[in-house]
Amino acid sequence: MNLFIVSLKNLRHKRIRTALSVGGVGIAVAVLVSLLGFDAGYQEALQTDIDRMGYQVLVTAKGCPYEAATLMLKGGGGLRYMDQTVYEKIISDKRIDKITPQLVATAFDPERSEGRGGITLFMGITSSYRELKPWMKFHSGNWFSSNNAAEVIMGYEVAELEQRSVGDNIFIPGHDNILKVAGIFERTGTQDDGIIFMPLGTTQKIFELPEKITGIGIKLKDLTQLSAFEEDLYNEPAIQVISMAQVKGTIFNLMSSARILANAIATVAVVIAAIGVINTILMSVFERTREIGVMKALGASQGEVFCLIWVETTLVCFIGGVIGSTLAVIGGRLVEYLFKQILPYAPSGRLIIISPILLLSSLAGTIIIGLLAGLYPAARAAAMRPVEAIRTSD
Amino acid sequence: MKLSLIILMLLFMCRPATGAVGCTLTDPDRDIRRIFPDATGYRTEFITIQERGGREFAQQVEALLGDKLDPVHEPLDVPYAYYTVLKGTNTIGHMHGVNQKGMFGGMQLILATDLQGTIVGFYYQKLTSPDARRFRNPTFTDPFTGLHLDDFLSQDTLPSEEQAQSQLGKITDPSKQSADDFNATLRGIRKNLALLKLFKLTSNTTRETNRKSKK
Repeated sequence: MNLFIVSLKNLRHKRIRTALSVGGVGIAVAVLVSLLGFDAGYQEALQTDIDRMGYQVLVTAKGCPYEAATLMLKGGGGLRYMDQTVYEKIISDKRIDKITPQLVATAFDPERSEGRGGITLFMGITSSYRELKPWMKFHSGNWFSSNNAAEVIMGYEVAELEQRSVGDNIFIPGHDNILKVAGIFERTGTQDDGIIFMPLGTTQKIFELPEKITGIGIKLKDLTQLSAFEEDLYNEPAIQVISMAQVKGTIFNLMSSARILANAIATVAVVIAAIGVINTILMSVFERTREIGVMKALGASQGEVFCLIWVETTLVCFIGGVIGSTLAVIGGRLVEYLFKQILPYAPSGRLIIISPILLLSSLAGTIIIGLLAGLYPAARAAAMRPVEAIRTSD
Repeated sequence: MKLSLIILMLLFMCRPATGAVGCTLTDPDRDIRRIFPDATGYRTEFITIQERGGREFAQQVEALLGDKLDPVHEPLDVPYAYYTVLKGTNTIGHMHGVNQKGMFGGMQLILATDLQGTIVGFYYQKLTSPDARRFRNPTFTDPFTGLHLDDFLSQDTLPSEEQAQSQLGKITDPSKQSADDFNATLRGIRKNLALLKLFKLTSNTTRETNRKSKK
């Protein structure tokens, strides 16, 4: 106990130096904890997003997706379409639990964005869409009256943005169609909140895409059959199969290089902070040569001097760790906001999850770093000979 | 692998829009400079009816608006963005927008006003309508310049023949289909001016004083 008090007093004597060392450790720990929290949070959020898509496999038309994406971003249709017969062929597969056809269509509105133009996305669906996503409940209204009804169902966010209620009109620019709002879904926290849904038949008619679809979402009865199912579909001409596991893997692979780099930078920051602490304590040891000499002359053992310096170093790191962990918890929302601004795709939900285990690990880590960083300065102090130390300092 | 990423990106392009209820300028630097060419800066402020007194304050807004606020689309906690336009250290005007329910979608009506609350610029930041081009046309939007909340308030009390002769009364519906969007525009502008008066301008007597002094 005395050792701690003496160590704290020693640190307090050089307040600015101690504060700078603690600050360095704190910032490094805050960055590291945030990044580790991001690792955990991003994986969980992505998994949730993929789970909430409702399907494990997405079948789309064969073609260059880069081209499709570019065309779409430029405001054109650009999406690849496949015949609805593909859906009718796949639906009979006994391995399928649930399946839904989708037709994504874009309408270019020349009057959007103050007359600069922009696209609005519509998705043609059937009732099977809700079977795949049973969590989609109605906030108001109901399902379409028929598969060819001139009606839309709006996601919660888009209904709020467009100030639409059930019974209101929706105008489809470029096609001069006016549809009625049949229902509004509850907020789901997914991309569905921003989509305007139409009956598949209506979408095909309005966008002049008879018997065409852009994708088929599939959920299997048994996930172990996924590989064999995918393999069978690969043989089908004119379609390509994307499994959500593949998508997840792709995103993780793309993220991993950035993650490794960021974690490496954070680790270097921690190492630099530890070196800073060694330097601070070592300087303190040199400055206190006389004091240490007197302590030893008065009977302090090598072990006691060693422990004194060791505890000082560990305290600096521990306090820095506590401050850094607190900063990471408090600043988590801000860091999350920044990540969401920077990342080309950020899943919904919390991106940074700082668990109690992560906090305890980071504190344990800083204590270990403190113990390691303190070895050399403590050994130097312990090795001092009293007479030489007093003489040298004079 | 890249393939699956692009597909996923396409799927996620439909991500929900954010900030559904507030109405901020798309690009304040550009939008403010366009209407106030002398502006050297601006200050942004978010104000809600809730924080200014809640239901009681809303009743004052409704009195000036001559209509009830829609509890679904115009709740009391909507943050209204106010851009105080600066020239050096002097305030030279305000810019502010409101969401207004239109016939085919939400409208975003942006007003630029001088320090007395007189309109110096008006445009639609967002508008979905078969007649959008007609509504955006300067022949429709320009005549709103020079109007003040008082003009809307006095319009309520004028005899019908005088209403048609007023500056506001001379503005006619550009739509060929329905008066809904025109009426929504008038309501949105009036709401915008009412909120400006109650949020930012302490009294409308300043304008009268200025008018008199000009005479």
